[in-house]
Amino acid sequence: MIRFEILDNLAAVTLSRADKRNALTPDMLESLTGVFERMPGDIRAVVVSGDGPAFCAGFDLKMCAADQSGETMRQLLTGLSRAVRAMRAIDQPVVLAAHGAAVAGGCALLGGADIVVAERQTRLGYPVAKIGVSPAVSAPFLSSTIADGPARARLLDPDLICAEDARSIGLVHELADGPGATRERANDIARHLAAKPGIGVAATKALCNHLSRHRTDFAMEALTVSLSLAGSEEERERLAALWS
Amino acid sequence: MSDPAILSFDGPIARLVINRPDARNALSIEILDALHDRLAELEADPRGAHVLVLTGAGKAFCAGMDLKAVLIELSGDPSLGKRLLTSLAELTLRLRALAMVTIASVNGAAIGGGCGLTCVCDLSVTHADAKLGFPEVDLGLCPAVIAPWVLRKLGPGVGRRALLMGGVMSGEDAKAIGLADFLAPDRAGLDSLTNEVAQRLASGGPKALAATKALLNRLDGSEDRDAVLRGAELSASVLATPEAQAALKARMTR
Repeated sequence: MIRFEILDNLAAVTLSRADKRNALTPDMLESLTGVFERMPGDIRAVVVSGDGPAFCAGFDLKMCAADQSGETMRQLLTGLSRAVRAMRAIDQPVVLAAHGAAVAGGCALLGGADIVVAERQTRLGYPVAKIGVSPAVSAPFLSSTIADGPARARLLDPDLICAEDARSIGLVHELADGPGATRERANDIARHLAAKPGIGVAATKALCNHLSRHRTDFAMEALTVSLSLAGSEEERERLAALWS
Repeated sequence: MSDPAILSFDGPIARLVINRPDARNALSIEILDALHDRLAELEADPRGAHVLVLTGAGKAFCAGMDLKAVLIELSGDPSLGKRLLTSLAELTLRLRALAMVTIASVNGAAIGGGCGLTCVCDLSVTHADAKLGFPEVDLGLCPAVIAPWVLRKLGPGVGRRALLMGGVMSGEDAKAIGLADFLAPDRAGLDSLTNEVAQRLASGGPKALAATKALLNRLDGSEDRDAVLRGAELSASVLATPEAQAALKARMTR
């Protein structure tokens, strides 16, 4: 459900569960982390995108609702945190192409990318408090990308925002028309980055990571906050209500 | 030879001009030393200017580091790059720490370290035909001295993109991402817009302005000297690699 392809010195990582709007399972997040942790050294830039009608609708909530113990939710939260950290940690720049929806866990993946291109119709946000889930796990990466005011609004307000608004707060860097053009623009940016001397790009990415470490150092604490609610009564009731 | 950095006063507004137009005001040791000297004069100045306008003589604002000085094969001095970068690092800290409000009036190309200086200023004014950007990565370099200032000015995500993508952008694009705060339609309109902004700022109480600026510097980490000084070391170590020297040489002989 994660496709990994290499073309010359570029890597394409694709969420491929199109019939479920690429809803994330624990296995998918583990593969995603693995792909980044094992990224070959001769790759110069990575493009992340999704198959089908939407980049990613977030966690597979049916799986979560079916598991009363909260264990599936805990695996998803832990897996998401690891995947985003793995995206950040690699030497190569990561370009992400979002289309349709980048919601909840799907929106969180943007926090691992260096450059984000979104299709104009994309809806983005973290509407998870509605189902009793805390988006705290995403906060360190969101607030190491955009200003504190908009980050706070996005994590607390369950509304989704349009791609244009996401660009105005810096969550998205460029807009494109249609999923094909969005992926093509992300590929263009990746080729542009791959053509530069590698040492400067890798050192600059590492430096940007270092300069925002006062935010991302909270990653484990933030994950703990989200985990503390997994399997809670509030969460179980609200998840069950989605299908009632 | 004329002074490489000229300081003048007009009431509460001081004006500092980088003055090597034939070298596009590129940052050589000579220019950096002169800028340090002028800032020292400002720090001690009894006239109490409370706004500073920083600009460049001629067509460029500042073309960035003097590439002739950092290409070891040409300068013959492997330590010069680090000296330049350390001096630039100290200059950014000094400029940021000035009690007065600073405005970059970006009259033309503001490239690399030159564009970094615009981010150190509190505000920047530019025009649609100016070219601004951070092409360090295109030369295999790492803009480590200015990165803390760029990320503060643009925000971490937009700053990350600007530093990784390299290249240069128009004044209009700079305004759109927050690299410039005010945009004149063309070069001819820049001076009056700069003056308008400077006069407006100078109308504030000097103590209130200085206190506010000092608070903002504390809040946003501008007093973290280590981040910038360690940046000079990192930048110098990347600069000294064969890959970076080869990319620089290719650019110089292009």
